[in-house]
Amino acid sequence: MNAMAGPQAETLETLGRLRLHGPLTAGTSRRVRQLLGDHVDHQARLLVDLQAVTALDATGVAALLQAQRAVGRREHGLLVLRPNRIVSDALKHSRTISAFVLWNG
Amino acid sequence: MITLEDQTAHGMTGADETPAPGGVVISRGIRVRLRTLTPPDLDLLNEWVDDPFLERMVGSEFLQSFKHVWDKSPAFYDAVLNDPTQVVLVVEANQGWSKPVGIVRLFNIHLLEGYAFLETIITDQKAVRRGFGVEAGKLISYYGVDVLGLRRVEAKVYEYNVLSMNSLRRNGFQQEGVLRKAWYDGERYWDVFVFGILKDEIESVRRRDKVYLPLDHVEGNGREPA
Repeated sequence: MNAMAGPQAETLETLGRLRLHGPLTAGTSRRVRQLLGDHVDHQARLLVDLQAVTALDATGVAALLQAQRAVGRREHGLLVLRPNRIVSDALKHSRTISAFVLWNG
Repeated sequence: MITLEDQTAHGMTGADETPAPGGVVISRGIRVRLRTLTPPDLDLLNEWVDDPFLERMVGSEFLQSFKHVWDKSPAFYDAVLNDPTQVVLVVEANQGWSKPVGIVRLFNIHLLEGYAFLETIITDQKAVRRGFGVEAGKLISYYGVDVLGLRRVEAKVYEYNVLSMNSLRRNGFQQEGVLRKAWYDGERYWDVFVFGILKDEIESVRRRDKVYLPLDHVEGNGREPA
């Protein structure tokens, strides 16, 4: 290996981005799980933008956990959440926050 | 309304659910259906919370919280909607009742560990002993397994509440222990019985009863928080 060689670069698999709006609660959980599932099926690396979420209950957190586990089973799978205050509070309150990768950018 | 944006492939794709005042029916059985809580339901909670019979038989922390912590405030609805440790559903009879007959909820939900506690409150005395509570408990247990990924559900019952104990046993719960003299009713101490059921036992009940959940299509629509 040439110690003087310059930095190397390679293109990684693209990161899919989803943005969810509105309440992720019992009344919408079936649709949320469907939407997340559809995208997780097609995207091993996913950023889920939750900045516009207005409510999050146990069913919403469960849907995110389900997506997290599905992605985690895939090679190089990665699910990153971009939470707002409501989502952060719910993840803390449900003691699930450690299960997720969060990005606050 | 819930919408989703796919920012890589298709630009904005959406799935709107128009708000409806009656809540969303999450699950339907032979006798009852379970729907989401709505703001007008707080009027019912207001009636139920002062019922001394319910207080003695159930001692619901949910109702007590509405009265004593939230002072019956409308903000209680938003608090419940945003509570990631419980799912509260309203029990409606499929026939013969114009008002909801009670509340059923999973609370103290531990999603990572996969367990939660069950509370069933049938508030209308005329609705008691009709199997409504049994079915409501069964339906929300299926919901807990299917939607929340639970592998265990627990329930506690005062020793004098034989009806609730029988309901749990009919749903496959097993008595797992006794909390000796754990409840004080103002006059004396009573034992509290602890019941539990595991996921495979819930599935056995489901196969026996041939009720499949959740619904293929939800009925009604989600609503924005107030």
